[in-house]
Amino acid sequence: MGRNPPAASGNAPLRTHDPALDTTLVLETPEHVTFRYQLAGPGQRFAAYLVDFAIRGLILGVAVLLVALAGGSFFADLWGLELGILLLLFFVVEWGYFLFFEGLSRGASPGKRALRLRVIRQDGLPVSFGDSLLRNLLRAADLLPTFYVVGVVTMCLDDKFRRLGDLVARTIVVCEPRAAGLGPSVGREPAGLARRSPPTPLPLPARPTLSRRERAALALFHRRAPELSVARARELAEIWAPTLRARFGVPDADALALLETLNERIVES
Amino acid sequence: MSFKNVDAFVRERRPVWEALAFELVGDRPLAKRPAAVISRVARLYREVCTDRMRAERLGLNPSALHYVDALVSRAHAALYDARPEPLSNWRSFVIREFPRALRKNGALFGIACFLFFVPFALTLSQTLLNPEAAARILPIETLEQMAEAYSKEPSGRTGGEGATMAGFYVYNNVGIAFRCFATGILFGLGTAFFLVYNGAITGAITGHVIQTGGGINILTFIAGHAPLELTAIVISGAAGLEMGRALLVTHGRTRLGSLWHQRRGILAQVVGAALMLLAAAAVEGFWSPSSAPARVKWGVGIGLMTLVVLHLGFAGRRKVR
Repeated sequence: MGRNPPAASGNAPLRTHDPALDTTLVLETPEHVTFRYQLAGPGQRFAAYLVDFAIRGLILGVAVLLVALAGGSFFADLWGLELGILLLLFFVVEWGYFLFFEGLSRGASPGKRALRLRVIRQDGLPVSFGDSLLRNLLRAADLLPTFYVVGVVTMCLDDKFRRLGDLVARTIVVCEPRAAGLGPSVGREPAGLARRSPPTPLPLPARPTLSRRERAALALFHRRAPELSVARARELAEIWAPTLRARFGVPDADALALLETLNERIVES
Repeated sequence: MSFKNVDAFVRERRPVWEALAFELVGDRPLAKRPAAVISRVARLYREVCTDRMRAERLGLNPSALHYVDALVSRAHAALYDARPEPLSNWRSFVIREFPRALRKNGALFGIACFLFFVPFALTLSQTLLNPEAAARILPIETLEQMAEAYSKEPSGRTGGEGATMAGFYVYNNVGIAFRCFATGILFGLGTAFFLVYNGAITGAITGHVIQTGGGINILTFIAGHAPLELTAIVISGAAGLEMGRALLVTHGRTRLGSLWHQRRGILAQVVGAALMLLAAAAVEGFWSPSSAPARVKWGVGIGLMTLVVLHLGFAGRRKVR
């Protein structure tokens, strides 16, 4: 490694996961681990709200139907009890629905769960009862003057898509990190690109001079290319290829072949 | 930094990642599992944290890095899971935390009283002096309904009717209190509006009913629950105003930081007000319309008023050393 000329940007490691998009929230824990959460935008949250809205409507609709069917026949001497319970249910569903489900299943109401969203605290921890209470009480301010206008406007002005309730309770809504399994190719030498290399070897030096960052980028591309379509891999390779073609004097080299051959040389050297 | 290293790294570390993923299956809180499991998860978590950093250095491909990321984040959430607020604290909340939070917010409670009762007094006196005034504030139908409702002495409802009305009062009044509080986030303006609005409406209705001859009936009716209900609405307003003040008077914090700093007291007042309104709904649904003699009702009303004042004024006081 000492043979390499220092790269223009020094020896900074290539950060493979730099938050390229401003919808990625990066949190660092005391263990020096950084988490990356995808923030949920107004569109996703609206869809989740619609699902929750439908579920709440269903609960109340079924309750109203039951009361209507019972029609006082069950509680002949207690007429009105079921109506009282119904009104109580209206209250509980209006004010307690989100509170209940966010507490029950770690920050995800059924609608959020359906869209793989979750409420978390700004520091990355699950929401507590108090946080949830505060953010859901302030819903009453967010839905002013009608249809959550205040909430949506606040969300659009905030860099983390927080509505008023989120701002006050210090919560954010994120996309649930998918519990994806490790692909079968991980841990094995990728073979996909080798087949695409041309039969005639490119006239490249046996020990190409590349900076540490360049080598890291090459390695990363090598690992990632098999997961991409050929067209996309070529598209990515073409971004860097012109520089490399000029540097190594191979003006006609195919972009994918060029990167792959360079990579082989680096590994061998 | 060769790829063979990455592959060897993944081969070697994969069992550890899978072991951690296995422990995290299911939604059962970690705190409720055996101590051995907790310390095992903690150990695995530390190892995977290290792996996460090594993986980035070694240039693991993004999808695998994403897997490790998700694993670390799930383990972190499981290990640092926030404790649910213990319900055993409710007693302490009612007898100490709530009255203390309110007394600390005494000045704004006074202002909330002012914002509610001045419009109340104004519309009350207006409707008493001028029979036409009520119609300019509220729809005629509502007024006629109210006048009709209080034209006779309460003869007692059945239990079922009482339940219906209690359910309605919970739905309506707690909703009003919550809205009154929540809109305080608009620098207290929403709260101020709801206090004035509700004060004015209440005054107009009371005035109109008295004006049309149902005075004794309505006052006897509300004697029982008014001390709880009106106080609770004003308390939720005081909490909303405190939220507004925290945004304006920040003591060097950011506006939201200042609000965060005071959230406990503010929430205590809202929850306390909600509990008071639940009690008020029960009284209003079952006791206020009962056929008990007016004298008893006034006695109960005065008794409840005294209790509310004593509780909010003195409960949870600490000895001065």
